[in-house]
Amino acid sequence: MNAIVALCHFCELHGPRTLFCTEVLHAPLPQGAGAGDGPGQGEPAEEEEGGIQMSSRIRAHSPAEGASAESSSPGPKKSDMCERFRSLAAGHPGYISHDKETSIKYVSHQHPNHPQLFSIVRQACVRSLSCEVCPGREGPIFFGDEQHGFVFSHTFFIKDSLARGFQRWYSIVAIMMDRIYLINSWPFLLAKIRGIIDGLQGKALRVFEAEQFGCPQRAQRMNTAFTPFLHQRNGNAARSLTSLTSDDHLWACLHTSFAWLLKACGSRLTEKLLEGAPTEDTLVQMEKLADLEEESESWANSEAEEERAPALLEGVERRELSKSSTDSLRSDCAGWQPRKLSVFKSLRHMRQVLGAPSFRTLAWHVLMGNQVIWKSRDAELVQSAFDVLRTMLPVGCVRIIPYSGQYEEAYRCNFLGLSPHVQVPPHVLSSEFAVTVEARPAARSNPNLAGCEDDQSLSKYEFVVTSGSPVAADRVGPTILNKIEAALTNQNLSVDVVDQCLICLKEEWMNKVKVLFKFTKVDSRPKEDTQKLLSILGASEEDNVKLLKFWMTGLSKTYKSHLMSTVRSPTASESRS
Amino acid sequence: MCGGSAQPGAPRDNAGRTCRTLFRSRIPTRVGGGGGAEAAELPHSWPCSELDLSEIRLLVYQDCERRGRQVLFDSKAVQGTEAVAAQNTEDVPVRESASCCRGGGGGASPHGSPGRSLQHATEQLPKYQYSRPASDVSMLGEMMFGSVAMSYRGPTLKIHHIRSPPQLMVSKVFSTRAGSLCGSTNNLQDSFESISQDPGLGKLNTSHSSLGPCRAGSNLGLPQAGSSRPPGVAEAGPLRLTRSASFLAAHSTPVDMPSRGHHEDRDSGIARSASLSSLLITPLPSPSSSASSSSSYQRRWLRSQTTSLENGVVPRRSADETFSLADETCSSNPAIARRKKVAVSVIFSLCEKEEAQRDFQEFFFSHFPLFESHMNRLKSAIEKAMTSCRKVAESSLRVQLYVSCLMGALGEFRGTIWNLYSVPRIPEPVWLTMMSSTSERTQVCQRFLREFTLLIEQINKNQFFAALLTAVLTYHLAWVPTVMPVDHPPLKGFSESRSSQSVSMLARTHPYNPLWAQLGDLYGAIGSPVRLTRTVVVGKQKELVQRVLYVLTYFVRCSELQENQLTCSGPWSEDGQALNGSELETALEKGEVEESEYVVVTVRSQPALLPPGLPLSTAGKRGPVPAGPAGDSDTRDLDARLDQEGNTGPEQSSAVGGPGPQEPALGSCGKPQRLSRDDILRAGGEVNQPAASQVPRGEMSRRTLARSAAWLCPNKPPREGAPAAKVTFHIGSSLSPESDLESCSQTLGAGLQCLGLAPPPTSAQQGPGCLHSPGRHRNTCRPQSRSPAGPRGESGRGSGTTTAGQPPKTAPWAAPSSGAAGTGKRPREEPSPDRRAWPVSGVGVAMGVPCGDAVGKADLRIQGDIPRSESLDSALGGSDDEVCPQATVEPGQCGDRTAASLEVELPLPWARSFSSQSVRNFGRSLLAGYCPTYLPDLVLHGTSSDDRLRQCLPADLAHAVQHPVLDEPIAEALCIVADTDRGTVQVATSQRKAAEPGKLGQDVLVSSLVSGLLQSILQLHKLRVPATFCVAHLEDRLQELYLKSKMLSEYLRGHTRVHVRELGIVLGIEASDLPLLAAVASTHSPHVAQILL
Repeated sequence: MNAIVALCHFCELHGPRTLFCTEVLHAPLPQGAGAGDGPGQGEPAEEEEGGIQMSSRIRAHSPAEGASAESSSPGPKKSDMCERFRSLAAGHPGYISHDKETSIKYVSHQHPNHPQLFSIVRQACVRSLSCEVCPGREGPIFFGDEQHGFVFSHTFFIKDSLARGFQRWYSIVAIMMDRIYLINSWPFLLAKIRGIIDGLQGKALRVFEAEQFGCPQRAQRMNTAFTPFLHQRNGNAARSLTSLTSDDHLWACLHTSFAWLLKACGSRLTEKLLEGAPTEDTLVQMEKLADLEEESESWANSEAEEERAPALLEGVERRELSKSSTDSLRSDCAGWQPRKLSVFKSLRHMRQVLGAPSFRTLAWHVLMGNQVIWKSRDAELVQSAFDVLRTMLPVGCVRIIPYSGQYEEAYRCNFLGLSPHVQVPPHVLSSEFAVTVEARPAARSNPNLAGCEDDQSLSKYEFVVTSGSPVAADRVGPTILNKIEAALTNQNLSVDVVDQCLICLKEEWMNKVKVLFKFTKVDSRPKEDTQKLLSILGASEEDNVKLLKFWMTGLSKTYKSHLMSTVRSPTASESRS
Repeated sequence: MCGGSAQPGAPRDNAGRTCRTLFRSRIPTRVGGGGGAEAAELPHSWPCSELDLSEIRLLVYQDCERRGRQVLFDSKAVQGTEAVAAQNTEDVPVRESASCCRGGGGGASPHGSPGRSLQHATEQLPKYQYSRPASDVSMLGEMMFGSVAMSYRGPTLKIHHIRSPPQLMVSKVFSTRAGSLCGSTNNLQDSFESISQDPGLGKLNTSHSSLGPCRAGSNLGLPQAGSSRPPGVAEAGPLRLTRSASFLAAHSTPVDMPSRGHHEDRDSGIARSASLSSLLITPLPSPSSSASSSSSYQRRWLRSQTTSLENGVVPRRSADETFSLADETCSSNPAIARRKKVAVSVIFSLCEKEEAQRDFQEFFFSHFPLFESHMNRLKSAIEKAMTSCRKVAESSLRVQLYVSCLMGALGEFRGTIWNLYSVPRIPEPVWLTMMSSTSERTQVCQRFLREFTLLIEQINKNQFFAALLTAVLTYHLAWVPTVMPVDHPPLKGFSESRSSQSVSMLARTHPYNPLWAQLGDLYGAIGSPVRLTRTVVVGKQKELVQRVLYVLTYFVRCSELQENQLTCSGPWSEDGQALNGSELETALEKGEVEESEYVVVTVRSQPALLPPGLPLSTAGKRGPVPAGPAGDSDTRDLDARLDQEGNTGPEQSSAVGGPGPQEPALGSCGKPQRLSRDDILRAGGEVNQPAASQVPRGEMSRRTLARSAAWLCPNKPPREGAPAAKVTFHIGSSLSPESDLESCSQTLGAGLQCLGLAPPPTSAQQGPGCLHSPGRHRNTCRPQSRSPAGPRGESGRGSGTTTAGQPPKTAPWAAPSSGAAGTGKRPREEPSPDRRAWPVSGVGVAMGVPCGDAVGKADLRIQGDIPRSESLDSALGGSDDEVCPQATVEPGQCGDRTAASLEVELPLPWARSFSSQSVRNFGRSLLAGYCPTYLPDLVLHGTSSDDRLRQCLPADLAHAVQHPVLDEPIAEALCIVADTDRGTVQVATSQRKAAEPGKLGQDVLVSSLVSGLLQSILQLHKLRVPATFCVAHLEDRLQELYLKSKMLSEYLRGHTRVHVRELGIVLGIEASDLPLLAAVASTHSPHVAQILL
């Protein structure tokens, strides 16, 4: 809680005085913020800055009490330091408690060292004990304003056999700038502070009774009444709270109690705030990462013995995958960026390079989950092409073998990079479920790249996109493809907008995929229902259905098992209701 | 009873009936039957029968530097004489006269027909008779003003609690300024004198005795002034202060930390939140893992920073809000103006019954921002009354006008407060219920979806419902953070609610006021510019309106509040000097609904004056105190015992959580008198029955209250025992018969030091939830319920998420309780069969025997005290397994401070936190049901006609902007008005957009995205897709809205003009979607507001 709690005393001779106050020091930055696992936000810098702030602030607070009192800071004047006002012995450094979990420190001194806080506490003390009127003199009041802070004050008496009226007047104040918080906490503070006061009064009462027993003051005073002696006596009788309660540990005790009060009040109410579910892409990435961690361990173990080519290849692929997925994890979840934009810079760029018709064919195959084979001498080019193309698909649908010396079956990968001399089986070449892009050395400069002077690496090539059964030009194609094309065509939209657009489209369709999965795989509903569903989803055209089916393979395990488990649970019967 | 707006009896009766239906409908077997919308109301959470409106008293006082104090008004001195004077019997006098003052009133005029002429009003006077103020005014004046120097000019807020008769007094003291000299010249004063001397009225000058500072013969001082102008003569004044100062504050105040100030856009009149735009520039901490919940996070972070005391004080608003005694047309030379202060006080007489008293106090303190807002309104009305009555030449009329204006305003105030307190609440707001109760989630989903689809079918013919939903999603923006995708996998089961780790961590490291945060969420004030929105559904068909309201509670979202009782387990003391005993008391409470019982755990005594953890002999020594070895061994010991217990009676233990195993110990602990035989039997037998029940709230409250009273005095023994009819388990006094003697004596010692009082559980019910509730428990020792992300669950204690919901195999307890959230039933975590794994395990140790029995054994050393409980301690130590109880300093930290600080280090006591869902919060109180009349504060409510709405809305909206209830400047106040009869949805705004005549505001454009969403949910439902899945799909679709808004904001980054066609073709965004998406985007991308709004 962002508050200061102080114990104040009204001295018969000097008026209101602050005896003891406990402040809360928070870490400059919340825990977990900028902890290093969120790069790209400039957080390390913040952290550094925070660190500096922190240490300087600590320095500001650090001088020992005695030192600061003597300095020019608005500390109490020496003359004020009669025994009664001296809470901590001269030179006592004060108390501190650490709340390790929250990095909050509770610090107690007689006065706050910060000049502004000093005057705020002082003001609160004066108002609490000599300005504000509390009916019955003992009890809670709230008062305050924006300038001086808001104060919850509880005044009370402490028995003192030597004091006038046998009691002295004290108050405990809690000061905050957030008046609403302070008022909200009234019932809580009242109960707790009342408890502390009871404790103090109880101790003092025992001392008082013991003293009265030993030396009844009343009788003595009756006898010595109206003599100047009494006055003098009272002057001497200025006693500290420690002696009134006969508790040497009183200040430590108060520190603990105040710190506890601040902690308890700060954590009295907590809120539970929901955040959105992670996207499927996030889930899949996490899963892949987890798998990789496991596998890389086992692979590392077996690495020494197993030198065979396939294994190696697999290893390479996995490392690659690991690398890219780690990268993508680091990048903002919303904007899944290709790893390196070395050759192809974006889908739009690729579309420019390939030409719109070829790109459409290629994109169609990509979205449908057909195998996309790139043949080129330049492995980097292939990698770059895949990095760009994969952004059209949910992460779970992407299986890449970036560069291989031999043909790999479609079930193993939907993106396959090959060197030019590798033979692709004829059935694949003639299949309508595969598309091949060949980067051939260009006889002449690619006309599509006329405008782009910096595309030297690409101008060497001409790209030939072939498929067993070319996509009919009049075919409508999946909805998402048309939207992607529209976005790519419109030069008004920046690359970032297109990226966001892709994310939206993918999520939109993944949401349809989820419904379809639930419907067909989990609930096993009949065909005609599925048809209805597809039309509800706006996906009844053939291409859309195909796309949904392919994308279903990209659902995260987490999600699938969640759906499966809810079906088994009793709640599945709810559909009856 | 002056409010005149609502008849107290009626709504409650209604609600009472519906409440019962609701309970029935919640029992799972009957859910299918169609609990329907008639179940959508529950009686208000605050039993308000004891709130007597006439006991709300208004006192206006003036403190003049030279003349001293004068009472300007005391409602206690006013007697209605309408019996004599009223010609129109059907007229409620207060309303009538109240409206008169508002004739000239501008924006801030409260409810009432604004058009009434002064003439008309004066004709209807006199109805009041002003007698001498009550005898306590002088004392009250002292309390209001105190003796603070006049130099501070800002308003001062005070709250006093008067013990006998029990009263709460809220005062605001204002400085007066310009115009205080104006006009009146004893006019009113004289008038009062003439009245009070009127023998016919039987008032004589009897006041001097009681009214020290008042002039003899005058009971009522009114602004007096040196200059004696004829009434109504205008003076030119430099400053008019009807406008909230806070509105302007952000400009002038040098603020060196981000604040949510704003500046006004000259053209559009839209104020933009400076803070949110500054977020882009100012580096703000964002939660490490997810940028997603950032808007909620940052809002809270800013709050904690702006209210921080650490770096000195930054007044957040300039303090020049004053009391204007000037007429709008009248002012004076400020140089001559003499400084005065005017105090406006409202005194609530509290019921003598403790329970009712506490109820009201809880309501008052938790809802203070609303009270304050209405006080500000009252103050404006008083200002207006003072200035307007000067225009009346005849003195008796003038007084009548003045008094009746004030009484009118007071009547409004009383009525509003009463309504606020007593309005029927929606018992199970869908979103909050789903969030808090995992066990009932399915039922809630089913019911929600049934209602939802019904509405889509029935009332969406002309897109009415789609329009309403569009408006709600556009303005009540708190849903946005709840769908922003996170970039980390769910920690728990997929369907579990995903609570934000970063926010809950922030709440602990940098506490802010969660009530405030929740209020902002509810009003949708999380975008940029900050707009505050309410929704009213109007319609004659009550049931339909209730349905609509119920469904909207899914979309109007906010955070769920939880109340934590932090109890400390005795700090360690090397010399054995002091140990506290905090004591847990559990009791079985008969459930109201089901045939089962709750285990109620109450923390009994909590010493408030805590002994320091460090012996002062070592005080000079810095650094941690070594761990007590005793704790170590004892814990192990305990674990062993627990294991034993677990083996011998697994059934029982798993069945009852706490009480079961302790039962034998109780008997042998020498406290048999506290248990009746029956109780024991009952405990043994019935506790095995799982299922929910409900703690009778009143009962608990009474008990706790009594207890706290009993503990007030340190040396008094506590009130003996709990009510005999209840089983009182002292968990852990000893765990097995063979150890009981020893530990019994130990606990006796422990009990002795109880100095303080039991913290009265502020939430009235301490259901079992306080043991098992989500929030802050660690569950590291509970392998069974450990979250999938094991390591995280371990370190991320207090993650603020529940771990319940894993299907238990052995515990019958775990059967989902059918209780419902709204009224205090709650989900529980099930104990795992491993005894150590109990969340309660910490309870099972060395605590409590009533202190009273343990006289004089203060120095009895407790060996074991309370080992750090795995599940309950909140937090002082690091890892779970370390037994070291000390709040030791991390080496790093320690090193940091070594050079700098010399403070003596003391450990904090260990904390254990008992959480319970708090019902005393805005989420439960501001979502109201079908009300007899329109009300100003509620986030959501329904009413039958819009008559009053039309009267009051403009003033309400203006007031909401001028005196933001959120304690921060807001740019615009809005009200969505959905009329189910006419099928219209309009949005009224505080800004001066000309609404067409006859309309409250602008019609809402139906977003095609929302419309499509509704259709697909309906179709899915028709295809018999399970409700939970439909709801999940709904969430996905909302997430799509969010993603689209991201796209839009990205688009707008490069464009200053929006090409709607372009958006439509490419982005699938239509013109009708733009307002919605722009509003959504404003929560994460402030620049959108500048372009679109």
